[in-house]
Amino acid sequence: MALDFSIFVEYGPRLLIGFWLTIKIVIAAIILGMPWGLVLALGRRSRFLIPRLAATSFVEIFRNTPFIIQVFLFFYVLPFYGIRFPAEYVGTLALAAFGSAYFAEIIRGGIDAVSKGQLESARAIGMSDWQAMKNIVLPQTLSIILPPLTNQTLSLIKESAILSTITVNELTMSGIRVQGEIFRPFEVFIMVALLYWGFNESIAFLMRKIERKANKARTSNQNIAGKTTSISRGASR
Amino acid sequence: MMMEETKKQDNFLQLKDITTTFGSIVALNNVNFSVKKGEVVCLIGPSGCGKSTLLRTANWLTPPDKGTVSLDGVLVGSESNKNMNLNEMKVLNGIRARMGMVFQQFNVWPHLDALENVVRAQLVVAKRSREEAEKKATKMLFDVGLGEKIHDWPDNLSGGQKQRLGIARALAMDPVLMLLDEPTSALDPELVSEVLNVLKRLANEGMTMIIVTHELGFASQVADRVAFMEDGKIIEEGPPNVILKSPKTQRLRLFLDKLNITSFTPS
Repeated sequence: MALDFSIFVEYGPRLLIGFWLTIKIVIAAIILGMPWGLVLALGRRSRFLIPRLAATSFVEIFRNTPFIIQVFLFFYVLPFYGIRFPAEYVGTLALAAFGSAYFAEIIRGGIDAVSKGQLESARAIGMSDWQAMKNIVLPQTLSIILPPLTNQTLSLIKESAILSTITVNELTMSGIRVQGEIFRPFEVFIMVALLYWGFNESIAFLMRKIERKANKARTSNQNIAGKTTSISRGASR
Repeated sequence: MMMEETKKQDNFLQLKDITTTFGSIVALNNVNFSVKKGEVVCLIGPSGCGKSTLLRTANWLTPPDKGTVSLDGVLVGSESNKNMNLNEMKVLNGIRARMGMVFQQFNVWPHLDALENVVRAQLVVAKRSREEAEKKATKMLFDVGLGEKIHDWPDNLSGGQKQRLGIARALAMDPVLMLLDEPTSALDPELVSEVLNVLKRLANEGMTMIIVTHELGFASQVADRVAFMEDGKIIEEGPPNVILKSPKTQRLRLFLDKLNITSFTPS
């Protein structure tokens, strides 16, 4: 079966429209899901029972059921309670909820990986729980969790294809529709695959850059604007 | 009035009827311990005897099962308020800010440079301005001999420098009491003296200090009182020349003998 490249030119733009929606949905899901994941992670470590229980249940439910079932539940059950959103919004919410459960576990693991003495020294000097988290623990967590966070983001991009099952006209859905009209699955789905691949590679590239920057900051020992030398006045013991 | 004043001074820090258990292990067994203002107390004893736990009880980092702690007449914590509400936490945080703590493993903050390590708590806890905090931090770093390292990252400091950074960080909060948990135990032998010199200076300046240590030579130089602990109890305490030279109990004698053999202290 030879590839017909004219299909790429003719139907590419329609796929790009779906691709654009995929990008918007994934980015919105990350913007919603990461902070919510942080809230869940802190909730699971809370001293109080109710937030701990609520956060744990949320994470366990969304981590241990298939994403496609969660999507169906969001899509078909919410209207029963009078909550009606366009399918894209429902899909975005479902993706954010699903992603946040994984983000929460990654962040929690990162917090646990920072040595206990770090939190202790912050508490001993008078910082509140939240001040210690914000000033001492979370900044150190960042460089630990960036690689797994990247993985989870890439997997979220791929999972977004499932939103095609609830009529969201994203990239996969656009592909299915075009294929239904022209019966050229090879060309169409190669295009779809290439677009997902390109999106994932760019995100991975971006995250690698951020990672390098985060790691560089604390190992380099360049003095800021040579301040040190101007102040030093011999060892004063 | 006069009586009350002196009494308060005598019990500047007071730990009363402290019992702490970890599972089936009794770390502290009904311990009573108090420190006068300006006094330097060294806690010695075999590992696992409860000396670190006692130190960590003072700032409520390890809340005991039973007992109360007060500093300068103000309650730090008691068994009845173990589940503190936000207001009680706030009061405790205020007290902790004035109790400088120094850790065996330094626990300096690796994502902040030396200056920022000393600045951060001044900003968020003491609510000082950045300018004021940096000025204070620079002075503190000079005082502990890190004047040339103020923009270095902790990863690039030696153990002794890290510990001095930890001390500067605590001192910048203007503590009324310093708690030091084996401050030199994680250091290479040749780096121990640079940290001990800083502590000697603090002792001479009249800082109230509780030091958990194995450095008996240092203890005999700076301590006003040495307390020997074993099995969660204070077995014997008194001035260093009495405690270290002529121990009354068999257990302390055995402990000192062991230390002397390993450190080859000339007698």
